[in-house]
Amino acid sequence: MKLFRIFSYLSTCLTYFLIFVGGMVRVSGAGMGCPDWPKCFDRWIPPTDISQLPDYIDPAKFNIVLAWIEYCNRLFGALVGLTITITLVLAYKYYFHIPVIKWSLTVAFILTLIEGWIGAVLVHTILNPVTITLHLLLALIIVMLLLYAAQESYYIENPYAEKNSKYPLNINWAFIVLGASLFIEIIIGTEVRGGLQMLRKENPLLDSNFLLYMLGPFKYMHTILGIVILFLSIFLWVKLVKQSDNPSEVVKQSSALILVLIFLQIVSGEILVFIKVKPIIQLFHLWFAAIIMGLISVQYSAWKKSQIANE
Amino acid sequence: MNKLYLYIFLCVLFMGVGASWVINTANESHDIPIIKKVPNFNFINQNGESFSDNHLKGKITVLDFFFTNCPGPCPIMTYNMKSLYDDFSNSEKVQFVSITVDPKNDNIEVLKNYAKINGITDERWQLLTSDLSNIKSLKREGFMLFADELPQGHAIKFILIDDNQNIRKYFDGTDEASLTILKKDISNLVKELKRYEKRT
Repeated sequence: MKLFRIFSYLSTCLTYFLIFVGGMVRVSGAGMGCPDWPKCFDRWIPPTDISQLPDYIDPAKFNIVLAWIEYCNRLFGALVGLTITITLVLAYKYYFHIPVIKWSLTVAFILTLIEGWIGAVLVHTILNPVTITLHLLLALIIVMLLLYAAQESYYIENPYAEKNSKYPLNINWAFIVLGASLFIEIIIGTEVRGGLQMLRKENPLLDSNFLLYMLGPFKYMHTILGIVILFLSIFLWVKLVKQSDNPSEVVKQSSALILVLIFLQIVSGEILVFIKVKPIIQLFHLWFAAIIMGLISVQYSAWKKSQIANE
Repeated sequence: MNKLYLYIFLCVLFMGVGASWVINTANESHDIPIIKKVPNFNFINQNGESFSDNHLKGKITVLDFFFTNCPGPCPIMTYNMKSLYDDFSNSEKVQFVSITVDPKNDNIEVLKNYAKINGITDERWQLLTSDLSNIKSLKREGFMLFADELPQGHAIKFILIDDNQNIRKYFDGTDEASLTILKKDISNLVKELKRYEKRT
């Protein structure tokens, strides 16, 4: 059972890292680093020299740096896939009788397979923006499912972890609205970025900041929803930490961390819009959003457990 | 707990440094090598005016070889060239040159008509012709491309030439993924050129 928990947390962490690596592929423009799938320039290990390319592939497509960045992403993806598979096997072995764990891992596993297939579609459609967004959203859902299963197994082993904590009752809606807003916010965010990319394709010589200006309303929607998320998370922090009896460490830490990360999101978002579209900031901006999403689910699990334990 | 946060912070810092390095290396990898200089030539365009290697100076050029009666890859190449021509319509720094490999048929009148059909409205896209021997030697010696069985045996390459008349890179003119890279390379060369012009 402990083994399951180790693997469920491990696969969560690795998936988070994979989201980071995927973002890195995106911002460094390495998405087409390997023009074929699953092989890279028709080889299982990418070429190290242009002379190793097969005849039918245009040598102009070969960039050794980009090929290896994309290859690392695929290799790491395969490793994560393997870890999730092991976690699934362990879930079936130890927690077959607990539907939430069994099913969340089964779905996570199926989505991981689909995710690999979408990776192939991405290469064949030469990075269709909608598919890129789908690729990210599926990764988010997978990581949430893994985290949820991990939390559930933690509470099965520690059934009294939230027993002494009493949180306000009717805040279910706040979790739902916050989670949904964040999910939509991430989609709009990828649209802002995808839109930038489309505009750049059509106007290759324009400056990123000017392109951002051309995007207009999307950008404002992202900001407005960001403010909604900020207020909701402050609200939840007040409810769960300030207005509760003896909140658990998990709730205190996750609530505080959400606020810190949202603060960082606002700062990095403003830098992107007003100062410069910097790839490294884009990367962390997205990754922090994914982490906030996970923390909200941790918060929710804890709150829910305390409701059940105190019934 | 504080220790855990310290470890997480160090991890994130490490990831940030690593990612910056990867992004920088990726950016630098877009440097485009100089292959060789385009030799002298002096051809005639669709308007009957002369167009020589001097016209390549100070501009980024994409050049290909084609012929108007070509049933095979040329229509795709022309379609792709047209999409580049449209994409870079707001830049005077980028021009396109298509040289016929069938000068017997493709006289000025035919080229002019071909330009009209394909929506070429300004001087940014030049359709050139000359004697077959001149074209052959430019293609073979100048651009190092196969030129034995013209017109059918012409290459399907798009050749990227910089503002100093240097050949920089060859692309498959019928392949969409190659064109995506070509577009990026054109943009990079134009930015380089603009930076250079600002300095001088």
